[in-house]
Amino acid sequence: MLVNKFIAHYFCMVNLKTGILLILVLLLSLEIQAQDCKLAIRGKIIHLENNEPIEAAYVWVVEAQDGAVSDENGNFTVKNLCSGTYTITIQYLGHKDVRDTVELKSNTFSKTYRLEEEAMGLQSVEVHGHRDAVQTTTAVSSLYGDQLEESRGENLGESLKRISGVSTFSTGNSIAKPVIHGMHSNRIMIMNNGIRLEGQQWGSEHAPEIDPFLADEITVVKGAETVRYGPEAMGGVILVNPAPLPTKTMSKTNLNLIGGTNGQMGNINMVHVAGSDKIKGLGYRIQGSAKRSGNVRSPGYFQENTGVSELNLSSSLGYSSSKLGVEAYYSLFHTDLGILADSHTGNLADLEAIIANGRPFADGEFSYEINNPKQRVTHNLAKLKSHYHISESWKLNFQYGFQLNRRLEFDKRRGNLNEVASLDLQLYTNTIDLYVNHTHKNELSGTWGVNFIQQANSNVPGTGVTPLIPNYDMMNTGIYAMEKYSKGPLEVEAGLRFDFRTLHTARFINQELKTADLDYQNFSAFLGGLYHISPNLTFNSNIGSAWRPPNVNELFSEGLHHGAAAVEIGDPNLKSENSYKWINELQYDGRKTHLELTAYVNPIRNYIYLNPTGEVYVSLRGTFIVYEYTQANALFYGVDFAGSYEFTDQISGYLKGSIVHAKNTDEDNYFPFIPASNIDWGISYDFAKDNNPRTNKVTLSNVLVAKQNREPDFDYAPAPPAYALFNVSYQKQLSIGNDKLNLGLQVQNLFNTRYKDYMNRFRYFTYDMGTNVLLKINFEF
Amino acid sequence: MKTTNKLYLIATILVSLAFSSCKSEDPVPENDGELITDVTLHFQEFDENLDPVGDLISFQASDPEGIENGQSPTIDIVTLKKGKNYIMTIDVANSIANEDITGEILEESDEHQFYFLGSAWEGDSAPLTYAYDDPSGELIGIQGIVTVEELTSINNSQMRIVLRHDLDKNYPGADNPNFVDFTAAGGESDLDITFPLVIE
Repeated sequence: MLVNKFIAHYFCMVNLKTGILLILVLLLSLEIQAQDCKLAIRGKIIHLENNEPIEAAYVWVVEAQDGAVSDENGNFTVKNLCSGTYTITIQYLGHKDVRDTVELKSNTFSKTYRLEEEAMGLQSVEVHGHRDAVQTTTAVSSLYGDQLEESRGENLGESLKRISGVSTFSTGNSIAKPVIHGMHSNRIMIMNNGIRLEGQQWGSEHAPEIDPFLADEITVVKGAETVRYGPEAMGGVILVNPAPLPTKTMSKTNLNLIGGTNGQMGNINMVHVAGSDKIKGLGYRIQGSAKRSGNVRSPGYFQENTGVSELNLSSSLGYSSSKLGVEAYYSLFHTDLGILADSHTGNLADLEAIIANGRPFADGEFSYEINNPKQRVTHNLAKLKSHYHISESWKLNFQYGFQLNRRLEFDKRRGNLNEVASLDLQLYTNTIDLYVNHTHKNELSGTWGVNFIQQANSNVPGTGVTPLIPNYDMMNTGIYAMEKYSKGPLEVEAGLRFDFRTLHTARFINQELKTADLDYQNFSAFLGGLYHISPNLTFNSNIGSAWRPPNVNELFSEGLHHGAAAVEIGDPNLKSENSYKWINELQYDGRKTHLELTAYVNPIRNYIYLNPTGEVYVSLRGTFIVYEYTQANALFYGVDFAGSYEFTDQISGYLKGSIVHAKNTDEDNYFPFIPASNIDWGISYDFAKDNNPRTNKVTLSNVLVAKQNREPDFDYAPAPPAYALFNVSYQKQLSIGNDKLNLGLQVQNLFNTRYKDYMNRFRYFTYDMGTNVLLKINFEF
Repeated sequence: MKTTNKLYLIATILVSLAFSSCKSEDPVPENDGELITDVTLHFQEFDENLDPVGDLISFQASDPEGIENGQSPTIDIVTLKKGKNYIMTIDVANSIANEDITGEILEESDEHQFYFLGSAWEGDSAPLTYAYDDPSGELIGIQGIVTVEELTSINNSQMRIVLRHDLDKNYPGADNPNFVDFTAAGGESDLDITFPLVIE
């Protein structure tokens, strides 16, 4: 019965896929009708070793006596060619020349060339910066360049909404957790420059402790990547990566200035990158950002106490020689953020009163002041990374990461207690990675390694509140191996990992010391493949098993969740979650058309969730609803799509969206806080003339979010109605000598629409943000 | 090669240092300072000349382990006499941390206010009336005057006592001790107890 339903659902997706394939074929046939001598050879040049793009490689088409130079993304185009056979040569300093013969028939020709480094020790050896590209056969989407620039000033969660299949689980306007295919918190992993970010991510109101400004590229891996990244990467991985450090003499500074009318937000960021002229291969980067905003305005009123103050730093220093690479990195994230005063309800009656009102009782006023309730979070991350080329195809890597996370949460209390945090957690994490890579030209490549995580969490005494979670020590050891085989258009990849984790906890309950010793272990594996059906069309499929041991809060929570009028109770007997995610992606990259279609099924055994028991606790403070952490079998499945099309040289459009289903198959009902179906589409008009490559365009976009009809059996308030938002943006790039100036003007929520989003926990208390006009200046010098 | 060896040595030292330096601290029991475990209502009857009549009578609501343990609080039945006037004082305490919360409420008198609701006070036929009578003159409700109607036919009723924290005292209607819409004045409930009332 259940199986039948499942098959029926999957068939829907298959049909949808067939439909999109048909559209693809149609588009392909349209584009093939190009005239004879207006064909082009397109391609991408990357390093064989790490798949990084190569800029400024020289491409020559012998027969046509014409050439091109690859751009910063490694792309090149040689235009105005007639159909026929051509010989292409590619040259790049320190790398072996590539000579290829191609048959050019249609305008869809595109090929990726991997350049191999020349034998080491030669005078001409070019040392390049290291940033390992994600080499996975699973679905990957990235945010970079113009799109990343457009998202500047937003937090990580908000920025990532630009990727289809990614949404946010938020608490007001300043706390947004990224959600990949319906999973968030401990079910996805965030990597800060290669180190798994370890904060108190279990809490629904705990935002990731990372500054998106430190990245020049943010990548989302949508498949289960437990083998590569360790337990918890079951829903996906977010890689926040800075640009590789320079290895040549250079100096560049990038300044961002952002202002927003809603909340009177100001944001400044500066990055300075330089390569030493004295020591070859030595480079550094230093980056800092500061942000200040006040009370957010919803249509008709201000949300009281919603200001944010943020201060972030990051720096790295690296040295690369032909054999050895060393990098030291440090990042600091510090935020003070106010929590909407009205969301701190005393008991169930209070909560019901404000839900019935639909918005805060008072109209509020603008202020930068941040009062209780508030959060103060500081996250330090330091890493040391080194690699050593043992031989041409073998590389040894070592990485050590240290993190210290301090989280203080202040509540509205009486008297001097207002100065004392009611939650004060200090979390130390040490991670060690030791692994070898081997790369053989177009054959086998792989990674074998071990990974250690050690974690110590302490409640800093003196809060005057019994801690929500105990003090604990956690130790995790993982050992893994992955191999990839590439032959022609096909890549096949498989991996296996074993993890062992121990957890020791200690706490006082009613003056009585309670300790627990728990251990968990599991195997995980994946098998994936990628096939280039044509130069423009790629299909990949990946099936991966993943697991996640229960988190400390799920095991041991015992206490009141402020603002939710809930008492949450953990269960120390919870078992690990086991997940199997099968994800398929079809990608088409044409001259005018770009399409991406992802479909996945993800059954999870022993999915842990917070379930209302139907009981209430009556206390002197009033009534509270009791929730317990419990386990059930779950089935997640859905589709994401993203596409763009250039109608003319000036006009282009895009469309993206996603649908997620998350069912509790034991109880035959739905899990709470799963994103509703949504579509985002827009049209751009480019003012730039053909010969001017600088951006000068205006975009009108429309976000449509459906009502969440797949609601859980119990919720304090029904899912809010569907909504539509309109946004306009204008981007212009100017050159001042050798310097670049980017200007952006954005109007978000153009019509000051009053709406609530199902994925925002504050939908119980308030409408979302009204119109916001942002001015963004970016200067590169 | 030499520099490589040195680097790895330094790395090893750093790692072992970091590993030994962080083990979780031993837990320390916390005294829940915010918690209210005992609420006592003291009634002193008085006559036309404002002279006390008889002994002070007291009724208690207590929840010795706080909210988290989920045991329902024990609440005394309040017994008052028809046609009498009483001075009611409220005593709030935390027996776990051995703390007097009444004093804290008085210190933050601009942020706290009691409301008196339920069938005992709401509506025209309610058997009780309440008037704030705090010594400072502010509207808090730590002290007030309770009058039991002479002609009431009600023998059993419910006294709901709510303590609001961080409310807007200037909100229209907030000065009414029986303000049903008290949530509209903002803030949150620190106490919300219902005492059964018997009128003799």
